[in-house]
Amino acid sequence: MPANNAIMTKNEGAVKRPGLPLRRSLSSLVGTSEAGLKASHFRRPWLAAGLLAPQLLILLFFFFIPTWKALSLAFVQVDPFGGTMIFVGLENFTTLFSSPEYRDSAILTLWFTVVQCIATLVIAGLLAFATDNVMRGRAIYKGVILLPYAIAPAISGVLWAFLFNPTVGPLAQMLHELGLAWDPNRRPFDALLLVSVAAIWKHVCYDYIFLVAAFLAVPASVMEAAAIDGARPVRRFLTVTLPMAAPTIFFLIVMNFVYGLFETFGIIDTVTRGGPAGSTNTLVYKVYQDGFRQLDLGSSAAQSVILMAIAVLFTFLQFRAVERKVNYQV
Amino acid sequence: MASTYVKSITGLLAASALLMGATGATAADRVKIEWWYAISGKLGDTVQQLISDFNKSQDKYEVVGTFKGNYEETLAAMVAAYRVSQQPAILQSAERGFMTMLNSGAIIPVDQLMAKQGYKTDWNDFIKPVAGFYIVNGKPAALPFNSSTPILWYNADAFKAAGFDAPSDTWQGLEKQLYALKEKKVTDCSMALPGDFQWSLIENYSAINNYPFATKANGYAGLDTEFVYNKTGVVGQVARLKKWVDDGVLKIAGQGVAPISLFTSGTCATIINSTASHSGVEADAKFKWSAAVMPHEAGADVRNGTIGGASLWAVKGKSEEVQAGVAAFFNFVAQPDTQEWWSKATGYVPVTNAAYQKMKAEGYFKDHPTREIAIEQLSRGEPTDNSRGFRFGNHNQSTAILIEEIQAVWTGKKTPQEALDSSVKRGNEILRQYEKLHAGK
Repeated sequence: MPANNAIMTKNEGAVKRPGLPLRRSLSSLVGTSEAGLKASHFRRPWLAAGLLAPQLLILLFFFFIPTWKALSLAFVQVDPFGGTMIFVGLENFTTLFSSPEYRDSAILTLWFTVVQCIATLVIAGLLAFATDNVMRGRAIYKGVILLPYAIAPAISGVLWAFLFNPTVGPLAQMLHELGLAWDPNRRPFDALLLVSVAAIWKHVCYDYIFLVAAFLAVPASVMEAAAIDGARPVRRFLTVTLPMAAPTIFFLIVMNFVYGLFETFGIIDTVTRGGPAGSTNTLVYKVYQDGFRQLDLGSSAAQSVILMAIAVLFTFLQFRAVERKVNYQV
Repeated sequence: MASTYVKSITGLLAASALLMGATGATAADRVKIEWWYAISGKLGDTVQQLISDFNKSQDKYEVVGTFKGNYEETLAAMVAAYRVSQQPAILQSAERGFMTMLNSGAIIPVDQLMAKQGYKTDWNDFIKPVAGFYIVNGKPAALPFNSSTPILWYNADAFKAAGFDAPSDTWQGLEKQLYALKEKKVTDCSMALPGDFQWSLIENYSAINNYPFATKANGYAGLDTEFVYNKTGVVGQVARLKKWVDDGVLKIAGQGVAPISLFTSGTCATIINSTASHSGVEADAKFKWSAAVMPHEAGADVRNGTIGGASLWAVKGKSEEVQAGVAAFFNFVAQPDTQEWWSKATGYVPVTNAAYQKMKAEGYFKDHPTREIAIEQLSRGEPTDNSRGFRFGNHNQSTAILIEEIQAVWTGKKTPQEALDSSVKRGNEILRQYEKLHAGK
């Protein structure tokens, strides 16, 4: 009832004002609550449809049509120009699953995503914890941490690639002087490390800003109570702040996974191009490589369908977990 | 609120319509010819110069050139555009994409276009290795535009300091020199690995030494071709390169650094790179440099190298008016004067005999001896099935696989033989896929 009342008052106010046909008609269109319906609803369905239309159109053009295209391409082999098309059934998928390259890419992606997710969260958590305890120059501190987010992934990728280039990069020279055989062109682990560090560096600020907000949202009264009980800052952080920030942390874990799986594309393209020998060729980069560089549209579409399934799975997990398990009310 | 949005949107539309009308009015009488190309940097500037020269030469057509990224990216852009009928009128496509374009159904063979528009082009005037690649069944499919071949660039100062006059003409001799350069600490690195090493150090190596790369005359004689480079001297070549990489003689530039800049900066004493590097090397190298033909195996039956670079394709689905403009532009590009200017400005091979003879008669090659090396390399010996060139469907794909497998040799994951076996096996799957799609062509 209260929510409904609010809407009604607003609409009555609008009626008095002439010359606004849309608002005037709204009051007659928006009905009151009825048994079995939500708090308010539209009497005439076309208005609701009209208001939903922009969002639906966006979904149609940027989600449903591409999804349909990907699905329809995943079961064919096709000339890039669309001249010939042969239906091959599940062949694109069976070829993928029997290919050691694809398996390697999947394992690599899992490793990369998990490491990136944990490292980003831990570093961002430490930095956010420190923010609470920085007294002077807090704005500068925050500014410096947030800066990487303002740099385009491609630019930051080029930067990392150059700094650690074994032949000309200044940081690589330093590593060589320390006696390390650093060479991301020839040592797969070095390449993977470089890509991971670049990806983490780029994403820490995202996690950081959410964590700072989450930590700030912990009620001062609870913290004070803990302090009076004799808990020191680190203990307060671990036993009070962290559990209360759990929903945010869970959200960030999901976002980090999505980032690692889908959005590190630009960094990989500029830092290693998936090499050497496919050692940094993650699933999403492989979709691009096979589809856009090599024009094997069928296989690329099959790969994106698999990725889409993974994304759906993640969304499902997130909703279930957020709604059931990780929910703290104060 | 809603009405404000509507107003501002209509306003915007009106404004943009006005703007388009205005620009349209100034160049209304010129037919716009869209050209997508794939070369950047200094070479890209020269392309823009070529376009503006053409536009100044007449008042009927206006070529609008757009850089669309590297060869692969440009081809991908073309594919995407063609599928929604937004394709350009002219596309520059690399030799590697030749079969993809040829059988795409998206092109007008250049001889048909020129004949229909009333131009008489002497297709026999194209220099042999160029003609041999682009002419299918006696007729050219695309207009050869920028043709190149890899040559051996060397730092003459460094060679002198190490006690050598010039690089050896065999790989065995060159190996000794490169190791000597390293031992005497003349330069930090003896040779830089080019980014397109599969083209220069594998494919051209194969042709020059007269090894078969694939069956069916390297794909010239049919789509049922199969790779065989895992059974030839290529295995030894990859093993040699691996040894050089391990010994620090051959440097991989890596992402973010152009291999040629390792040479022009004086870091590496040699590099085997395209003859099109001329404009860059001439501008950047601050030491005495020279170039030579690529080395061959001791005792090999030495043949010509193969061409790289790209050609211009006339794209289907454009109005008669635009096609006439495309033909006019092609005619302009094929003129000996244009060819000569283009070759001098870039380092690409002059593609017609007329242009080549003209440059020769002027004594251009006496003053610029390294400019003739490419022609010398391209016309060494009588071409064989192994040296004519490579016609593989989805060649970009099998190339990417070859590179990936050879990288596995650098990382020590595979031996040269294992890597090439696997590369041939995966490459043949690509060829079969292409054969299946284009059966009967």
